[in-house]
Amino acid sequence: MLNFDLCHLTRCGAHVVSGPYSMPASRSRVTEGTVMDTKEKSGKKRVAEEDDDQLSLFKIEKDGFPKKLEKEDNDDDLSDSEESVFSGLEDSGSDSDDDDDDDDDDDDDDDGGVGGDDDDDDDDDDDDDDGTVEETKDADEESLGKDNEEATILKTSTEQPFSEKREAKRQGEKASDGGNAVRKARASRARGTGSGKLEQAPGLGGQSSGAPPQGDEYEQDTSDEEDIRNTVGNIPMEWYQDYPHIGYDLDGKKIYKPIRNKDELDEFLDKMENPDYWRTVHDRMTGTDIRLSDEQVDLVHRLQRGHFGDASFNEYEPYVDFFSSETMIHPVTNRPADKRSFIPSLIEKEKVSKLVHAIKMGWIKPRQPKESGLQLYDLWAKEDPNSILGRHKMHVPAPKSKLPGHEESYNPPPEYLLTEEEKLAWEQQDPEERKLNFLPQKFACLRTVPAFSRFIHERFERCLDLYLCPRQRKMRVNVDPEDLIPKLPKPRDLQPFPTVQSLVYRGHTNLVRCISVSPSGQWLASGSDDCTVRLWEVCTGRCMKTIEVGGAVKSIAWNPNPAICLVALSFNQMVLLLNPGLGDKLVCSTTDQVIASYVEPEEEKEQSVQWLLPEDQDVEKGVRLIINHPKSVRQLTWHSKGDYLASVMPDNSNTQVLIHQITKRRSQNPFRKNKGLVQCVSFHPIRPYFFVATQRYIRIYNLIKQELMKKLSANCKWISSMAIHPAGDNVICGSYDSRLAWFDLDLSTKPYKVLRHHKKALRGVAFHKTYPLFASASDDGSVIVCHGMVYNDLLQNPLIVPVKVLKGHTITQDLGVLDVAFHPSQPWVFSSGADHTVRLFT
Amino acid sequence: MSQLQARFFTENEKYKIDDVPFSIPASSEVKDLSDIINKLLEGKYAAHSHVDFDFLVRGQFLRMPLVDHMEAEGITTEEVVEIEYVQRFTAPEPEECIMHDDWISSVEADMEWILTGSYDKTARIWSPEGNAVMTVAGHGDVVKDVAWVKRDGLTSLLLTASLDQTVVLWEWSSEPNKLKARHCCRGHAGSVDSVAVDPTQTKFCSGSWDKMLKIWSAVPTDKEDEYQEMPDRPRKKQKTETLGLTRTPLMTLSGHTEAVSSVLWCDSEQVCSASWDHTIRLWDPETGSLKSTLTGSKVFNCISYSPLCRRLASGSADRHVRLWDPRSKDGSLVLLSLTSHTGWVTAVQWSPTHEQQLVSGSLDCMVKLWDTRSCKAPLYDLAAHEDKVFCVDWREDGVSHFGGGVCNSRAERAVNGHDM
Repeated sequence: MLNFDLCHLTRCGAHVVSGPYSMPASRSRVTEGTVMDTKEKSGKKRVAEEDDDQLSLFKIEKDGFPKKLEKEDNDDDLSDSEESVFSGLEDSGSDSDDDDDDDDDDDDDDDGGVGGDDDDDDDDDDDDDDGTVEETKDADEESLGKDNEEATILKTSTEQPFSEKREAKRQGEKASDGGNAVRKARASRARGTGSGKLEQAPGLGGQSSGAPPQGDEYEQDTSDEEDIRNTVGNIPMEWYQDYPHIGYDLDGKKIYKPIRNKDELDEFLDKMENPDYWRTVHDRMTGTDIRLSDEQVDLVHRLQRGHFGDASFNEYEPYVDFFSSETMIHPVTNRPADKRSFIPSLIEKEKVSKLVHAIKMGWIKPRQPKESGLQLYDLWAKEDPNSILGRHKMHVPAPKSKLPGHEESYNPPPEYLLTEEEKLAWEQQDPEERKLNFLPQKFACLRTVPAFSRFIHERFERCLDLYLCPRQRKMRVNVDPEDLIPKLPKPRDLQPFPTVQSLVYRGHTNLVRCISVSPSGQWLASGSDDCTVRLWEVCTGRCMKTIEVGGAVKSIAWNPNPAICLVALSFNQMVLLLNPGLGDKLVCSTTDQVIASYVEPEEEKEQSVQWLLPEDQDVEKGVRLIINHPKSVRQLTWHSKGDYLASVMPDNSNTQVLIHQITKRRSQNPFRKNKGLVQCVSFHPIRPYFFVATQRYIRIYNLIKQELMKKLSANCKWISSMAIHPAGDNVICGSYDSRLAWFDLDLSTKPYKVLRHHKKALRGVAFHKTYPLFASASDDGSVIVCHGMVYNDLLQNPLIVPVKVLKGHTITQDLGVLDVAFHPSQPWVFSSGADHTVRLFT
Repeated sequence: MSQLQARFFTENEKYKIDDVPFSIPASSEVKDLSDIINKLLEGKYAAHSHVDFDFLVRGQFLRMPLVDHMEAEGITTEEVVEIEYVQRFTAPEPEECIMHDDWISSVEADMEWILTGSYDKTARIWSPEGNAVMTVAGHGDVVKDVAWVKRDGLTSLLLTASLDQTVVLWEWSSEPNKLKARHCCRGHAGSVDSVAVDPTQTKFCSGSWDKMLKIWSAVPTDKEDEYQEMPDRPRKKQKTETLGLTRTPLMTLSGHTEAVSSVLWCDSEQVCSASWDHTIRLWDPETGSLKSTLTGSKVFNCISYSPLCRRLASGSADRHVRLWDPRSKDGSLVLLSLTSHTGWVTAVQWSPTHEQQLVSGSLDCMVKLWDTRSCKAPLYDLAAHEDKVFCVDWREDGVSHFGGGVCNSRAERAVNGHDM
């Protein structure tokens, strides 16, 4: 309640200066002031001068208010227009005065009953002490009432009888009262009620306002009455600027503006002469000037200071706590207990039964007993995996800082203390390299331990660690490594493939460098460093023939055409074409005929090789033709038709590869340029392609178009051997750095797969003609047979499964198996080794 | 020590004992059982001398303690066990060693003579004592197979098949010891690896590397067949002229996709051939049609047929001797696998007199004597050879068998006869 008042009071204070509807109480004071003004104008001058200091102060403050108001009320030109309007209306002012007087008369009567006062001034002074409180209170109430009531004209009409009563006496009063009286009356009416009447009394003369009204206070209390001097209501008063009247009274008669003949000069003079000028305010509602009483000024001052409007109000009065925590002996109220408090409540019963049911059903759980005690947690404990963050999949808890160890103790065991040398070393070390980032120190007691100088630094680093280090969960695939291995079929399911050594072909006396199987699979030719070529019967291991040649046999190749019985072999610079005379007699004789049927061309072409006919004794041995190369021949390979033979002479010259045509005894060098040291060459089994393997690359040439088609990079250091899949789309090459690379020509120029099963250099690789098998021979003495299934479906990559390691050859002079060849029809593999043997694995 | 109830029986009347169950130690071995039987026999016949017995439990030879054997075979020990006993087949002893100059590719024995083919391009006739009676020379290449066609009295007919793609029919009279090449059978385009004479001794069949089987007449005539010699052949082979009259095949059976390694006549109505194409094929020699195919998984090197048990035995490159039933149509059902060799089985031969015995030779230098009742292990290993064994044969009386082998390093050849 108090706060509420205070708030209103402050608002009233603001309105005192310019608001037309505000502060009726203060207006009454102004009226008083005006009365004084007229009576004792000169007398009061001194007082005004004395109050100069105050005046100036107040003025400043006064000046301040309109500014505020301008903002608040939007009535920008109110104060300016006011005077002009009023001045223009001065003539017709009397009527309104008359109207106003009626109220005052009534009031006077009432007041008169209460008591009288002789002197206005005295009255003012007296009131300062006892009346002001009430005044302000009333004013407050009035303003309150106004706030509520002014909006409703209806209420005005309800109070009609009361105002009528006053009006009855108005006429009589008119005559007796002067202009001042009219003003007073109006002022009091503006103030409205009881207290205003009190103050009015002095203005009327003789009636004291000092004593508070006795008797029926409610009769006097007009706090809920509207200010009905002007019935225009809460409208901007400038609407009446251009009219002579300022509004209407209760009877609907015009209230005319008071005559104001003051011009600027008068104003100035008034300002100079009137000591109460500073406390005169203009009431816009009625267009009158009101002099504020001392109490009112005091009130304004107090409000401006933020004090209570009522000076006598003790805001620090002891608080009487009726409903205190203390148990009282007697009840605060004497009200007997309700009957219903003795009757069990049905609603409650229903509610309880519902709750009980819910508890029984388990819908409501009885409240868990709260755990009391200290909530402690382990700073270094691992984060609870069930916590919200822990359940988050990607959450990585911040790494815990390291637990302090013994060396961080203020009194560490002596073994943790660094010796002098260690200290020196520690100091010389780079801070990054230090094992400890501090020096363990010993203190006699905890009291002597100094502040930790690196604290901020350490915290900072910790923060850096926490936010700069990405705590990101790596998507670790949690699978069994076994599952990652591609599902390879079991070797058992890939049978047949050679598994055991069946036959050993013995007879050579030096390492067997090369082998070749006849297309029928009945015979095996082997060339050795003991300068012999041996022909073996495959199924028994019988050496059928031994042919001595003039040097270590480097390469041997059986003509793949079953209709031709020829074996090409090379030693030194010679290439011999040998008819072994094995197999079908008819084929052998046909072969001889083919070779003999050669007719010398008419013009002799210059050839890089010499085609020679053997001498008779060589013919007896089976030699049919000799091709004398300029350099030693390393490798020979037949075209599948059996007419073309390619020979390799690894060299730095441009003639490394020669292709010979047997029937025409013609040789040509397909390559003009030297693209590297040629290791081996091979014909494509079907198409006119030619594979040339240099140390690192395999080049595929189209012999018809005479262009390079592909260049396969083997990713190895030195290719040793090469084999073409019988379908022609896959190539394997072995290298001296113990790798076997499988190329899928349709796939890429890089190896489709690289097998590193051998421990030493690979010497030979071979494809089986019909079975999906390939084999590699290595210096580690083993032959590894792999299942290499090539599918007709282009989408399916070849399936490569190593199936068997065949061991049997003994390593001689760091050389193991030198050549490998498959049987043309059976899943058998032959291998020739440095241990002078050829072995058959079936 | 637990005891077993056993009842012994035998089919040999000589060694019959009373048919009563005996309680014998469960861990008895062959020797213990043999002693028991001998004891019983001694008690029965005063004149009994010690005989070694072998024991069969449900048709399987006992080779381990009785209880172990029964456990392995799944025979309950609760009941009385029926144990058959037979006189033990005594270990064969090497009887004779016939030295040959070169590898022996084939051997064919009969009661009187032994015929061998050799890599020195000759065939030889030996007396059982090991004396070379006759050298059959004339082939231009290795003799791969030999066969007796007919032996009546002093003259006999024999066949030699050679790498030079011919089979030569020879007539040999032992008394003046004269040999004459009657016919040179030409037509194969590869080495002839196998010949077989039909039971009527009027025809023979040859199998060759050229995947063909050819049936020829084995009756010597004086008529020469026309042989389509290649007209542009540069040099006529004069040798063939000396080998008698040219003969052309009666029939060619083609169907194998690889070399034919072995042929035989099951009876006069059926030819059986084994090939490198992993099949055994049965042919009708009258019509030349294929009757059935038995498919294996490995190269077949040799087959043998026993008319006694009507089974085929095959030796293949995967070290197994397999027994087949040729009557099963297109079935590749292996009745039994005899596994003990460690190299290719190059030769296999059924006993002519014993229906359960066969002998096999292998590249692992072993000749093994098998009894089909004991398939886990051979009866005996005959390890007299020093090198690869290429051929084995039985003498007709079934007492001796021979192996043809080689000893590579010293070029010394041996035909070992083993006496039973």
